[in-house]
Amino acid sequence: MKVEVSAEEIEELYRRLVEDAKAGGYHINPDMGNTMPLVEGLVTNTKRYGYGLCPCRLTGGSSEADLDIICPCDYRDPDLDEYDTCF
Amino acid sequence: MPDFKCLEQVEGSKKDHDLVLYALSTCGWCKKARSFLGDNDIAYRFVYVDLLEGDERDEVFNEVKKLNPQRTFPTLVIDDEDVVVGFNDSTYGEKLL
Repeated sequence: MKVEVSAEEIEELYRRLVEDAKAGGYHINPDMGNTMPLVEGLVTNTKRYGYGLCPCRLTGGSSEADLDIICPCDYRDPDLDEYDTCF
Repeated sequence: MPDFKCLEQVEGSKKDHDLVLYALSTCGWCKKARSFLGDNDIAYRFVYVDLLEGDERDEVFNEVKKLNPQRTFPTLVIDDEDVVVGFNDSTYGEKLL
């Protein structure tokens, strides 16, 4: 299912993510070439599924099945430790 | 590996390997993987698994789960035997260039 995403929606979520990350002691990757496609993917998935499913993981079919892969997902900290970024 | 009809052929002058890229349309790392292959003129087949529907989606997703139980993307299959999970340009470079 394809969904349309506007630049305003991406910008709005980006601003919220920056604030949330700061509040939690994290930083959003300043490399916009990495960050903005992920933010766009999160907006798409939120419209598509109703929650911010990780843009790089496939839904298991329900929010219950996807609990571990809703952003920020259970794999964020291990990924940060291993790769300095989430995968 | 099943020969899924949904796989789209991308042309390139380098055809040293049979490459199948399982990707998501929402995934920035998948975009980078496709850019790497395109920039290096490498031929490959790919599918955006999240845009599939019904049985086809289930069949492809089950194949990805077999290849990569963590169900992360991109998942690249090289010559039907080597599976590369995620995108890293140095890993792709070592394997493909």
